[in-house]
Amino acid sequence: MSQNRHKVKVALKYCGSCNPYVDLSRIARHLAKVVEARQGVELVHLCDDGIGVVIILCGCHRACGNKPEVRARAKRSLVIAGESLSGKAVPEMYLPAAVEQELIRILDS
Amino acid sequence: MSMMTGKQYRESLRQLKPEIYYMGEKIESLVDHPGFVPHVNAAALTYEMALALEFEELVTATSHLTGEKINRFTHIHHGHDDLVKKVKMLRAIGQQTGSCFQRCVGHDGLNAVYSVTYDIDQKMGTDYHRRLVNLLKEVQSRDLMISGAMTDPKGDRRLSPSQQKDPDLYVHVVEKRKDGIVVSGAKAHITGAVNSHGHLVMPTVAMKAEDADYAVCFYVPIDAPGVIHIFGRQTNDTRKCDCFLDQGNVEYGIVGGEALIVFDRVFIPWEHVFMCGEYEFAYDLVERFATAHRQNYGGCKAGLSDALIGASYAFAQVQGTDRASHIRDKLVEMVHLTETLYCCSIACSCQGFALPAGSYMADPLLANVTKLNVTRHIYEIARLAQDIAGGILATSPAEMDWKDPRVGKYVDKYMKGVADLPAETRIRLIRLIEAMTCGTALVESMHGAGSPQAQRIMIERRANLERKKRLAEKLAKIGEQPLFVC
Repeated sequence: MSQNRHKVKVALKYCGSCNPYVDLSRIARHLAKVVEARQGVELVHLCDDGIGVVIILCGCHRACGNKPEVRARAKRSLVIAGESLSGKAVPEMYLPAAVEQELIRILDS
Repeated sequence: MSMMTGKQYRESLRQLKPEIYYMGEKIESLVDHPGFVPHVNAAALTYEMALALEFEELVTATSHLTGEKINRFTHIHHGHDDLVKKVKMLRAIGQQTGSCFQRCVGHDGLNAVYSVTYDIDQKMGTDYHRRLVNLLKEVQSRDLMISGAMTDPKGDRRLSPSQQKDPDLYVHVVEKRKDGIVVSGAKAHITGAVNSHGHLVMPTVAMKAEDADYAVCFYVPIDAPGVIHIFGRQTNDTRKCDCFLDQGNVEYGIVGGEALIVFDRVFIPWEHVFMCGEYEFAYDLVERFATAHRQNYGGCKAGLSDALIGASYAFAQVQGTDRASHIRDKLVEMVHLTETLYCCSIACSCQGFALPAGSYMADPLLANVTKLNVTRHIYEIARLAQDIAGGILATSPAEMDWKDPRVGKYVDKYMKGVADLPAETRIRLIRLIEAMTCGTALVESMHGAGSPQAQRIMIERRANLERKKRLAEKLAKIGEQPLFVC
């Protein structure tokens, strides 16, 4: 328990997946592996308190999940909106790796 | 200066000295020439409606640059509300004009160039966005009408711009100077070109390194030296000069009024250059402009269709067929098709998104679906209007014969429908339906904002067929079976 208190909490928030242009599940599965392999980090539900990073997974540029109240749940946020990561264009095939890289950069900072 | 009235807009055009040719004549005063008056009137309504209390909520906006109240046609979208209001504005104006009012093209051009110049600057360290913002401030404060000039003549469609035998078939840079560039070439089918204050010129296709001279975007005043306008013919256009009633839509014409704009070694100062050689951004500019413009068509064309449905209904009443079940059914079908188009435009606006510059664009897939539907539904709506109207649409006597002292009484007698309505009412409605369905107006719905194939290409790019395949495979128990396909 004491160890968990020091872990950085990472939460996922989906847009709703009505007609996603990119494979959100693939990104989420990749992130789950990244978190599992890394010490001091855990995936939690968005309802948890003290979330460090919220990763907002949106299937298209409309970015329905990217709402102020979602971003406010965590200290930092990452937004995937179709083939883009935090406003920068990223082809779908590179999205999981790009999200991983960005998450690690945040965790290390 | 605040927003202009329609009268001030006309006066502002009188202050300009553009080079315009039409029917073998050099036009000295566009505002007073019958060949152009309807187009000026339609554009003037975009000014008048902004000042009308009934429409100000749609036709005005607040400038994100100055906080001033401006005409929405000079506004940069900064949210879904802006995108939706644009569509509603277009429908509202289209209902009043029954014809194209032209001003949306430059509006869409400004929005596209606003976001792309930001992106170019971010990557290339250029200064284009500041220049565009300065132009935008001027456009907003002077309430200018800007044409959006994208389509090049294209020559041999199999060849890229730089491969054409005649280099002028796409607008290109012929000289770079310390104080600016010199451009040559032409832009075709440019709506509202002759009654705008200036042209926003953009590349028309994706380009490669060898096409760099053709990757050019700039603003040029309409009367800059070397800018020549050759105005296009329209169906029945001589009726503007020798008839009144037979024009059908006397006040606003049948289309926006398109022209070929020739650039014969035109000098553009650097301050008005927004892309010069950054070929890798040409596609983004084309896509964003096309998306913005295709978003419109379920707004403006729905407005025009409202007027056409009204004309068809009124005509059925004049003929005594308005209670016939098949006529009611056709009117319902016209409404259904019209509202389908409107649904598309509203949907692509609601699904719009923010760009790095902070401005918003509509959803490209849905915007292309909108325009592709327009290429079909407007024709079907027109077909139904012609069906309701009957063959008299193509055989009605001329206005001159109706006024002729010898045969006028016969035209009056035999053109009459129900006893208590005059023949004139029937003739006027025939001419309005004719103007809206029998010629150039329909071609505008087919090819305006790009031909159907251009929309199909964009739709295929965003179709995401692989995901649809995964959905099917899940249901058919083929391969991996995830809990959900997301």
